[in-house]
Amino acid sequence: MTRFSPFWILLLLLAGCFSLATLLQPRVDAWDPQAGSGGVLKLILGDSRRLIADQFMEQADVSFHSGYYPSIFDERKAPKGTAHMTSKEGSAEEEDHEQKMSFLGPPRDFIERFGRHFLITEHTHLENGNQREILPWLQISANLDPHRIDTYTVAAFWLRNSLGKVDEAEKFLREGLRNNPGSYELWYELGVLYSENRHDFVKARNAWELSLRYWQKDEPAKKEPDLIGFEKIVVHLANAEERFGNLEKAVEYYKMALKTSPNPDVVRQQIKELEQKIGSQQSTNLTTAHQP
Amino acid sequence: MHMQTILETKNLRVEFKAQSPSRGIKVAVKDLNLKVYAGEVFGFLGPNGAGKTTTMNVLLGFVNATSGSAFLFEVDVRQPIARQRIGYLPELTYYYKFLNAEELLRFYGRIFRVPSGDLDRRIDELLKLVELEHARKRPIKTYSKGMQQRVGLAQALINDPDLLILDEPTSGLDPIGRMKVREIIQRLKQLGKTVFFSSHELGEVETVCDRVAIINQGELKVEGRVSELVAKHNTNLENIFLNIIGYQPALAA
Amino acid sequence: MNTIFALSGVVIKELCRRKDFYVLFILTAVLTALMGFANFFHDDKIVRYLKEICLLLIWVSALVIAIGTTARQIPAERENRTIFPLLAKPVSRAQVVAGKFMGCWLACGLALIVFYIFFGVISGSREHYWPVLEWFQAFWLQWVMLAVVVAMVLLGSVVFAAPSSNGTICFIVVLGILLLGRYLNQIALREPEPLKTVVYGLYFMIPHLEWYDIRDFVIYDRNLIDWTSCGLATVYGAVYSAFLLFATWLVFRRKALNV
Repeated sequence: MTRFSPFWILLLLLAGCFSLATLLQPRVDAWDPQAGSGGVLKLILGDSRRLIADQFMEQADVSFHSGYYPSIFDERKAPKGTAHMTSKEGSAEEEDHEQKMSFLGPPRDFIERFGRHFLITEHTHLENGNQREILPWLQISANLDPHRIDTYTVAAFWLRNSLGKVDEAEKFLREGLRNNPGSYELWYELGVLYSENRHDFVKARNAWELSLRYWQKDEPAKKEPDLIGFEKIVVHLANAEERFGNLEKAVEYYKMALKTSPNPDVVRQQIKELEQKIGSQQSTNLTTAHQP
Repeated sequence: MHMQTILETKNLRVEFKAQSPSRGIKVAVKDLNLKVYAGEVFGFLGPNGAGKTTTMNVLLGFVNATSGSAFLFEVDVRQPIARQRIGYLPELTYYYKFLNAEELLRFYGRIFRVPSGDLDRRIDELLKLVELEHARKRPIKTYSKGMQQRVGLAQALINDPDLLILDEPTSGLDPIGRMKVREIIQRLKQLGKTVFFSSHELGEVETVCDRVAIINQGELKVEGRVSELVAKHNTNLENIFLNIIGYQPALAA
Repeated sequence: MNTIFALSGVVIKELCRRKDFYVLFILTAVLTALMGFANFFHDDKIVRYLKEICLLLIWVSALVIAIGTTARQIPAERENRTIFPLLAKPVSRAQVVAGKFMGCWLACGLALIVFYIFFGVISGSREHYWPVLEWFQAFWLQWVMLAVVVAMVLLGSVVFAAPSSNGTICFIVVLGILLLGRYLNQIALREPEPLKTVVYGLYFMIPHLEWYDIRDFVIYDRNLIDWTSCGLATVYGAVYSAFLLFATWLVFRRKALNV
């Protein structure tokens, strides 16, 4: 009886495994077409990467507040959303945020009183270019969960506003759009970038029109559509059309804004002014037409 | 001539809780009265489980006596200072493996507050005595069993002790090693030191010891000078030992 | 004191000759360096994330060294039988406990100095700003905290059977205190009696190790903590360590050591 050396048996088994793998691969692909897509992080972490991304987003917020941040045990909850990270000083959002962030209260006992010496108790926001310090956390959060929109909008806001990195901001927004092509927030933000930083008002208007289209496609079906977002889009579009001299279109947009604006009187005033301008334009055109 | 009592136990009793609660208390040492005088070599004999190690544990402060007392140099063994002038060589020699012989001796020398100049000289002498000069800088984890035994002997002598307590000092040694240990014991005796050791090598004990005590089942059975015991029983120490512990070779055959 | 320092010298030599410290330091250095090379929006002035990661690694490493080194001291002496030739010398058990504590604590201090020098180099070279006093304050408070941890683990080593179980339990306790210690009073107030009293009692009893974690002050370039509070925290740490060491001695002195 011929004796096979263990080496050849091993080689045979290896060849068998390889053949089986090749045979089975198409069948496995058919079970779950999305398996294997989404990169290494998705493969390793699965859906838990979203939880981890949330944590990094929170870390960005902690960094934004230079360490002053409520814990899960503090009675007032952590600021919801990231609107405060891009809000202007003195705005209503900022005041509301300021109130929510006074969570510490008087110390309950002598231990807590002493412990406050070792705790950051002053509410501050990063400024003077230090907002760059939140960027790594936002980048990591975006890598983990590419579908979290505010990661892109917050990063882009600070990149273009305080750090003078407009190219980087645009690149990051476009990366966000590649991962979330139907995101009206990202199109809106891109439009603001073109308008405020590149002064390319044509591209800005195009971006806002796309933003409005996507908003109208997805938001109305929701229980609580983002009416503030809608108002911002249409107001910007109205301003853009006004800049290009398309006053009727601007009035149209303002009328859309009227339904949802928190300051309807201001919007009505804008409409009135524009209608007066349209009226005076029309009368000027008539006078010009009738002159010999 | 009144000789100084170096080691003494008075009605020493050590009890342990038995492993099984139903068996109650185990008495390891029963009312032991022992005296060792200055300058003598004293053998502490007994079969396995007789109570020798427990007695040594009490003398060295590892275990507290249930009742009675023990003294070293007339100081209660519960005081750490009682151990200032003793050297101890355990049966199983384990030392800090990450140290080398020189570091180990220096460490123990510091504990004895040996002045640093004297300590350096003493370390050199001891390493020469135990023939470990060539390995003084090597970590102890690289030593053979015999080398570890020898470093144990060196650390037992680091403070130039007046009393040396040896637990099975020749256990695991080859004949040459055993001879060297015997020579060291003889030299110490000539220098007026006291040696207290337990051993199963009765031939060696008979050769080296001045006095012996034989303990069995926690009780002291006999104590006296080797020459007197041999003369009295008209036989060698081994037979005396076997008679005392009640071993009958004829029955076994 | 001579005996205590002799014992502590042996512990320090052990730490230097074991690989734990070097592995942890290299891991910290490599991870920090890797994160340092990361490019975030082509901005090379970003530094706080690096400080945060480095300090987190330093804290984890220091705790691993403190707990790992201390947990095996007395059990290893007993297991390796080196306790017998040691206690056969004029050394009391109190001196053994004190010597082991001093050795472990000094070893932690030496490790921390190396870690903080590394942190200082990384942070200073990036920020071009050298707040040495802030770094010293962070180092000092962390070292005081480690004194309490070492004392706690030493007590655990004479109470629990195995170093691994002692190490695990102490690690969980220390982590629990660091994360939750500050908030136990809030948790207590939300609970009904008698749980409220129990939790509040626990809140007063535990060593408040979270006071000593001032990483945020270093990361976010906040002002120095006032030195009086620092001093009081040091005294608190010293008293708590002394209490734990006394408890260790009380347990250890009664333990029978059979050869």
